[in-house]
Amino acid sequence: MKHLVFLLEEESAKALLENLLPRIFQNITFKCIPFEGKSDLEGNFVKKLKGYNVPNTFFVILRDQDSADCYVIKNNLKEKCVDASKPDTLIRIACQELESWYFGSLVSVEKVLNISNLSHYSIDKRYRIPDSIVNPKQELKKITNQKYRQVSSSREIGNIMDYRNNTSKSFNVFIEGLKRIIE
Amino acid sequence: MKIEQIKIKNYKAFKNATMHDVPQMCVIVGANGSGKSTLFDIFGFLKDSMTQNITVALAKRGGYKEVVSRNTKGPIEFEIKFRESGKSELVTYHLAIGLENNQPIIEREILRYRMGSKGLPYHFLDFSRGKGTAVTNELFYQGDIKELKREEQTLAKTDILAIKGLAQFKQFPAAATFGDLIDKWHVSDFHINQARTTKDDGYAEHLSREGDNLALVTKFMYEQHNDLFNSILDKLKKRVPGIESVDSKLTDEGSVLLRFQDGSFKDPFLARYVSDGTIKMFAYLVLLYDPNKHPLLCIEEPENQLYPTLLTELAEEFKEYSNVGGQVFISTHSPDFLNAVELEDVFWLVKNAGYTEIKRAKDDSLIASLIREGDKMGYLWKQGFFEGVNPR
Repeated sequence: MKHLVFLLEEESAKALLENLLPRIFQNITFKCIPFEGKSDLEGNFVKKLKGYNVPNTFFVILRDQDSADCYVIKNNLKEKCVDASKPDTLIRIACQELESWYFGSLVSVEKVLNISNLSHYSIDKRYRIPDSIVNPKQELKKITNQKYRQVSSSREIGNIMDYRNNTSKSFNVFIEGLKRIIE
Repeated sequence: MKIEQIKIKNYKAFKNATMHDVPQMCVIVGANGSGKSTLFDIFGFLKDSMTQNITVALAKRGGYKEVVSRNTKGPIEFEIKFRESGKSELVTYHLAIGLENNQPIIEREILRYRMGSKGLPYHFLDFSRGKGTAVTNELFYQGDIKELKREEQTLAKTDILAIKGLAQFKQFPAAATFGDLIDKWHVSDFHINQARTTKDDGYAEHLSREGDNLALVTKFMYEQHNDLFNSILDKLKKRVPGIESVDSKLTDEGSVLLRFQDGSFKDPFLARYVSDGTIKMFAYLVLLYDPNKHPLLCIEEPENQLYPTLLTELAEEFKEYSNVGGQVFISTHSPDFLNAVELEDVFWLVKNAGYTEIKRAKDDSLIASLIREGDKMGYLWKQGFFEGVNPR
């Protein structure tokens, strides 16, 4: 059985993945390590790569794109992984933020927060392409009338999200990447 | 005097737990309700048992049936292994308490250690139900075990500890050492509001559990240990910007006020107007620079109200205390405090099916490996590497 270690930018990603992943993959064990923001992640993840002494471990780094250039972020992380002798580490970027993935599945946000008709925003031209929403966290708070809570809502979304029908490209690329490692 | 191992059976949430390789400074983490305070209370229980008797010690905690672990009948057992000094023999104190006809009784009380490096440990004190034997020439003994003199003794009642009587006599050095440790054991669970209160004039050398006699101890330190008092002030000034001086003032009504002098103002502030963090830092300095150190000091959550960066220095001070004074046990929830301590110092408590287990960070190969790569205890704790410790 493969063991996956997720190096994450913050608690909300952990809350999502801990509930979502067991629904998608039954034949893995995994551990989520939340850092305190992206500078903590970038500055300290190498210690985990080097010190994590459990055999058959694959690492996955997930961070938000925010306003940075996706390729620059990726190359920078990649370099550090190679230096730490873990070149096969999977690096994935949530474009722009974790909340973009929730815009890709507004039906689940609707259920979790018990707001009717939230999903009609997915045809709104401002939100139709989740990965190009500029400030998804702020926008999600706005359309949910501040009901969205980063950690607790992420946990509940993870429990029910239809991962086969998410319109966020970066979410699908993340899941495909995991499938490649696992299967 | 250093405790090396603590074994607990059937005491509240500790149905069967062992803490081994206990360091000089022992830092304990665990979710609320995981048993940190209960662990400290073992020493309180032993102290109550020694100064009074086990019936009183149990009654204070709700009686035998409340104290014994759920779904067990007992006996309640403690086994503490300690050394008087670095190279002396490892001494074991064992106590088993049961219930008979609804009365708590001491089923067994043993003090034993090995003579030299070979052979079985020898029972220097062995009592059961108020009767037993004690070796009377322990101190002078050099040669053969056969030369040891045992004396039959009967205690006044079946709920009195044998060490209570023997700890007073010089011919029982092991009992005396252990008795001293239990007697001078101290727990600090500092409450800011208690420390702000005005006290009637009196005398106090040691800071009390909740710190309510801070003004009196300040007076004592100022009058009797002026040099120590000045070094406390120096440290305080460096950590709390603006503080120039601290003193205690006797009022006309005969009460003692604690006052803090801010360099920017002419008149000092009364303690009740000073920030929580300032009082707490001052109180810890008073506790740690006590000229008569406690052989065993337990501190509950020192981080509350303190600015995170001060915790590193505070951790260093506890370490220093444990090097020059006694052993220190500290419970904490603070990642900043944990970041300042070593792998060897940290234990964590986790509840499994209702009962507490004690884990040692050093025994976890993953944690140890990450620390070798430069990670820190506080980060690892927060990131969930102390298995089972985070509240769900």
